[in-house]
Amino acid sequence: MVALSKVRDGEEGVIMDVSGDKRYLSRIMSVGLNIGCRVKMLQNIKCRPLLVYGRDTMIALNREEAEHIKVEVRA
Amino acid sequence: MEKLITIALLGQPNSGKSTIFNTLTRMRQHVGNWPGKTVEKKEGFFVRNGVRYRVTDLPGSYCLSANSDEEIVTRNYIAQNDLDLVCVLADASQLERSMYMLADFAGIRTPAVLLLTMMDVAQAQGKCIDTDVLSDRLGIPVLGLNASDEKAYDGLKELLERAAAEGKTLAASKLWTAMEEGEKGEEFEACLRLAERITTERLPACWLAGKMLEEDASVLRRLKEAGAEAVRPDGRGALYVSGIRFDWIGELLDGVVTQERNEDKILSRFDRIAIGPRSGPWLAFGMSVAALLGAMIVAAPLMGLGSAIPLLLNPLLDRTLGPAGVSAGTIHFVKATLVTALGWVVAMTGFVFAMSFVMGVLEEVGYMARVSYVFDRSMSRIGLQGKAIMPMFMGLGCTMGSASGARVIDSYGQKILTIAVAWAVPCGATFVVIPTLANAFFGGVGGVLVMLLIFAVMFLHIIVTAKIFGRRLNPAKQRTGIIMELPPYHRPRLGFIFRNSLMRMWDVFRRAFSVEIVVCVIFYLLSASPSGIEGSILYKAGIWIEPVSRFFGMGWQTFMSFAAATVSKEAVLGVLSAIFANSGSVIDTTMGLTGASDSVAQIAASMIPRAEALAFIVAVTFNIPCLQAVVSTYHETHSAKWTAKIGTYYVASALLLSCLTYHIAGLFM
Repeated sequence: MVALSKVRDGEEGVIMDVSGDKRYLSRIMSVGLNIGCRVKMLQNIKCRPLLVYGRDTMIALNREEAEHIKVEVRA
Repeated sequence: MEKLITIALLGQPNSGKSTIFNTLTRMRQHVGNWPGKTVEKKEGFFVRNGVRYRVTDLPGSYCLSANSDEEIVTRNYIAQNDLDLVCVLADASQLERSMYMLADFAGIRTPAVLLLTMMDVAQAQGKCIDTDVLSDRLGIPVLGLNASDEKAYDGLKELLERAAAEGKTLAASKLWTAMEEGEKGEEFEACLRLAERITTERLPACWLAGKMLEEDASVLRRLKEAGAEAVRPDGRGALYVSGIRFDWIGELLDGVVTQERNEDKILSRFDRIAIGPRSGPWLAFGMSVAALLGAMIVAAPLMGLGSAIPLLLNPLLDRTLGPAGVSAGTIHFVKATLVTALGWVVAMTGFVFAMSFVMGVLEEVGYMARVSYVFDRSMSRIGLQGKAIMPMFMGLGCTMGSASGARVIDSYGQKILTIAVAWAVPCGATFVVIPTLANAFFGGVGGVLVMLLIFAVMFLHIIVTAKIFGRRLNPAKQRTGIIMELPPYHRPRLGFIFRNSLMRMWDVFRRAFSVEIVVCVIFYLLSASPSGIEGSILYKAGIWIEPVSRFFGMGWQTFMSFAAATVSKEAVLGVLSAIFANSGSVIDTTMGLTGASDSVAQIAASMIPRAEALAFIVAVTFNIPCLQAVVSTYHETHSAKWTAKIGTYYVASALLLSCLTYHIAGLFM
């Protein structure tokens, strides 16, 4: 399992765990990134939010907060 | 009495909610605030078969947690006993994700319908959605429509009429069974028993128990008030509940959505450029310039008409009223107030229309969300959304542009914050007036240095202003990192955006005209003088206050000019011209009836000490931009309170800056 912010461009993975305060949890769940959701990293570059694709949606995520999203990278 | 049916629109951002609201209610809208909250309240009406329907456009949020004022307002409203119908929206092209709002709503006993928007996009993606099966499973009517298809609205109104009459509520028993059978089933049942104490007609125990598992602050508070202690949470309830909600959605949609073919590449070529590490900011810059130019072109005819109004009407007044025996003084009064205000308002509507149109197109195609992504890091440092950079950039052209452009900011508090900050960006008129003065006082090189100083002050001002206003409008504890959907690009519905912009233009005309006339009359009375300028109240006040204004670095002449500059930037040179070159009166130069003398800057330069001049230049640049800016801010925020706060803040900070500049410059000059 790695932090979402470590996933490289083009890699796909499944969200295994999310931690954070309940505010963060309910926000991240409500955009569809819950446990078991399959995501693809679209763009992961310094000084920008992460750009991921999950549940048919392109989502920008704050980089620091995304440290708390753990994924298992799958081919 | 006519029968009234109340309907609330509930949906996530980008679900097409405002399009539906605008098309359903057209011009019969009222925008205000939710009592006691910095949250925008939009209401509108439509009439069908003799029944009046009141539609409330609830603030866009992703779920019904109680984490922001927007969500609290939404939740309280949909659980109100007298609400007849909730119309839940979901984006058909991203159905699984956008059904989350419905899943969060499930359990609340307010009659509901489900509206699937973006059916055209879903179709283009090769998706086929069986709304009949979905309707059977949910127990409420389901309608799929393309929000821009006007013909679909008759069907929608019919559905709303029928649904309000039948009053069917959502069938969600499977959701609660799943919660009971899952790993936190025992906790859920314990919550259920506790929840019995705080149930209301619309909020049953199962919904409240789900919220308790999520550690919802407002439900836990109510529980405490009822004297019960909540089940000890482990901080993972939200994960559990959301997992069950998505399973429920998955089951609901099983067999409802069929993908006929696989979709194309996720990132288009344009998107690669729009979000690229280097190309992204450059494209945003190019788009901003293009948007500004585009807005200018769209606005040009009305701006031209606005400036032509005094030229057309004033001679007409001379020819008709003069011979009719109306005194020259009265005619002059009418010219300086009524005609001037009319010309300004027409010019302003041009700008509002153009900005609404251009920004509307950028928002609609989905580009604004990309700008937010690209500038998130730099803008979030000062507590603003990334896309706030666009309206702020528009401020270099005209502050009215910033104010109307701020409509793309989706939180009301942040919208006001963006406008407040954007006032610090010197506008196009400032860039005409200030270099003229700076060159006259400080020569070519000195003039460039003054402009550099102004840009430095601008950045500082932006940071400080964002901090001061951000405390109330975007409190640090409510700030969170970006979690934002970047909607797929789609073609803008130009006709729809055009009509919408027309509507806003008419609205601004109606409201702004009266405000501008009042201010023009007040300014007229203050500066009217039988001869010279010595007879005016403004002059007397200027002389009287000079000991104080001196402390801030301005003598009575520059202070009068500073005061007049809150009405129009042209007044800066105009008033100096009236004082030093004796060309025209303060009224005429401020209201644009006569231009400033060509040599005014040179004359002023020989009369005003350089330290005072520098203080004056800084003060004028960062003062209230102009009356137009104030009025358009009022129109966009529809809050007299916040407009007054911003205005007062800018006058005070301009005086402070002037004071600092004067005393520091005095050490060297």
